Amino acid sequence: METCDRTPILSCKHLNKQFSSGRKKSTTVLANVNLDVRQGDFVTILGQSGGGKSTLLKLLGGFIQPSAGQVLFHGVPLKQITPKIGMVFQEDTLYPWLTVEQNIGFGFKIRGKKKAHYIAKVREVLEHVGLSQARKSYPHQLSGGMRQRVSIARSIAVQPDVLLLDEPFSALDIQLRRRLQNFLSSIWKDTATTMVLVTHNVEEAILLGQTLIVIGDRPGRIIETVDIADDTFRDRYDPGFLALQRHLEGVIEIDVNQQETLLREKSQEAVGKTVKIP
Amino acid sequence: MGNNIQSEQAWRQSLLSIGCGLLSCAVLGLLWEGIGRNPENPITQVLPPPSQFLPVLFESDFKIGLGSQAASIYQSVAVTLVRVLVGMTVAFIGSILCGLLISLSKWSELFILPVLGLIAPIAPIAWVPLALVVFGVSNLTAIFIVFMGVFFTLTIATVAEIKRIPKNLLMTAQNLGGGSFNRWRWVIVPAVLPGVFTLLRLNFIAAWMAVLAAEMTGLRDGLGTVVMTGRNLFNSDLILLGICIIGITGFAVDRLLLLIQRKFFWWQV
Repeated sequence: METCDRTPILSCKHLNKQFSSGRKKSTTVLANVNLDVRQGDFVTILGQSGGGKSTLLKLLGGFIQPSAGQVLFHGVPLKQITPKIGMVFQEDTLYPWLTVEQNIGFGFKIRGKKKAHYIAKVREVLEHVGLSQARKSYPHQLSGGMRQRVSIARSIAVQPDVLLLDEPFSALDIQLRRRLQNFLSSIWKDTATTMVLVTHNVEEAILLGQTLIVIGDRPGRIIETVDIADDTFRDRYDPGFLALQRHLEGVIEIDVNQQETLLREKSQEAVGKTVKIP
Repeated sequence: MGNNIQSEQAWRQSLLSIGCGLLSCAVLGLLWEGIGRNPENPITQVLPPPSQFLPVLFESDFKIGLGSQAASIYQSVAVTLVRVLVGMTVAFIGSILCGLLISLSKWSELFILPVLGLIAPIAPIAWVPLALVVFGVSNLTAIFIVFMGVFFTLTIATVAEIKRIPKNLLMTAQNLGGGSFNRWRWVIVPAVLPGVFTLLRLNFIAAWMAVLAAEMTGLRDGLGTVVMTGRNLFNSDLILLGICIIGITGFAVDRLLLLIQRKFFWWQV
């Protein structure tokens, strides 16, 4: 795989995201996140569940807008969803009334393209992802793993510049997860599509990524960036791989403990302020 | 292999339900026939046995009505069916279009939905006098009554179904490059179709009763008229013939709608 152009294709500068619900005080989900995703890179974002990883991915895809800072796509502020940045969601988003083939061709159909213009491309993608046999099947006739393969194939078919993946394998068992990790890795190598994958699985993050970013908890912020382009990190039994895995697990655990201590101190302070001592 | 076993099981299940249904109908028919055959039984006068009135179905010259208005029982069935099916089709298409338009804006939802909610509970039969004044004694009256009985409920259901569509399905369509019109056409419409069609099927009974009531009270043909003619002539055979045909036709249409649902609107979102 060649990655000749190393200028950032997608980046975020001083990104902040706050959510407010009703009368409650707004919650800061992401604070001052700076990130560069380069052409052809495979970035994995690792962090605790509920730590703001998915929010970061939605911001990178233009699905939501930041409270402060900006997301730049090809150097231009990203204001809305674009087909140039594909997204594979954690949940099943296949259209149940369409066959596998129709689902994969949906990106063309919804843009008003005639079937004759895209059917060859769809067949090629089907062949590539090993789903030719199941092309006439409906999503409910497929296993969870096959459904996720179709979702990825559908996004790949329209050739996005960047593909964002929000924990696509989290609902699958370990065997299937490993098979799909290999599948995704081969897709990345073959298509040279820039990918950003969010996961809470340390092993997955190391195995797939070229650049690994660890997001801390409450608020989400980058606490560590690791370059893992080396082949050492493609073998889950390599001592280097295992050492990094242990290190990253430690980083996440320390961060969680620190945040919990901070939270406890804050709540004790709050109790001290509200309880009147006679 | 697994699919074959499943389809075999489903086939057996449907055979069993058809068999049981036919058996219970046969038992009921035999019981009725047994009671009705006794000429000393006073019930026989108002409840003649099926063997007394069903053979007219096979008489080609059997017609109900006077002069040029006389129609065969098959013509009456066809007239009623056309009225119900046209009314329901117009209501189905209209409610989906209206539901889509209403859900385009929060304000239209806030203003229009309460009005629909107010009209929906009005029994279709209540529209009969008004329909007769506006459309006269014609097919339009019956179609209008069926439409009024189904349209408002279906429109409210369409709006509810649109709200129920998972956000990710819509976001994916947008992410794949679909503009608003194509998202409506290729995602929202197919997503709401099964739910609205199911409700249409459930509302069929109401529409069926409404059109029969309209035929009994104002129109001059159709299955409702067969029963009313029987009443006017003090002819129990005709009344029971009409009742039986109404039941069988209603059941057949319900099964037809179920078949359409399973064949064309089988998915769940």
